[in-house]
Amino acid sequence: MFCSSKSPAVRRFARSCWMSAGLVVVLAVGAALVFRFWHLKGLLAYPVAVLPALPILWVLFETGRFLAVEKDEFQRNLLVQCLLGGIGGTLATTTAWGYLEAFVRVPHLRAVWIYPIFWLFVVIAWPVVYRRYR
Amino acid sequence: MKNRLKVLRAERDWSQADLAQRLEVSRQSVNAIETGKFDPSLPLAFKLARLFGLRIEEIFEDSDQ
Repeated sequence: MFCSSKSPAVRRFARSCWMSAGLVVVLAVGAALVFRFWHLKGLLAYPVAVLPALPILWVLFETGRFLAVEKDEFQRNLLVQCLLGGIGGTLATTTAWGYLEAFVRVPHLRAVWIYPIFWLFVVIAWPVVYRRYR
Repeated sequence: MKNRLKVLRAERDWSQADLAQRLEVSRQSVNAIETGKFDPSLPLAFKLARLFGLRIEEIFEDSDQ
């Protein structure tokens, strides 16, 4: 993703996305291990539990920076459209799933899956958006 | 929006990549503008006009007219 353009801003943004995705996995596994072996309780449990979500703030920051720094308005436009695809897909999917949970009793979708679902839709949107401008 | 970018580029024997480099944008941007799939912002349109030594309306055609 984002590899066909070589601007420094695009490269930096892509690198940050991949690094933050890796960091989410590492921190989630780390937090799971901490809770499993140290049975963390009390006030310390809260920050440790929230730790895997922090890289999301990093990606939000990098997204804002990309939109501010990237000189190529077309590349900015592509990213915005992909992010809209991700947001729209996530909203539609999670809302539909919520109604399914309420009325049909499907398994509960834990909120930790929302972020990966968002990126899944961004990745799906990317080639669709790209093809429009070929 | 229709435009004469392809003709103007050909007159100068520039490739899309050459024009992209001069505009400091990606080649895909030039392609998208040239094919009328993406309308450039006013600053980019002015930059194009300066580069070709023309007025904006000599490059882009108002499709509403």
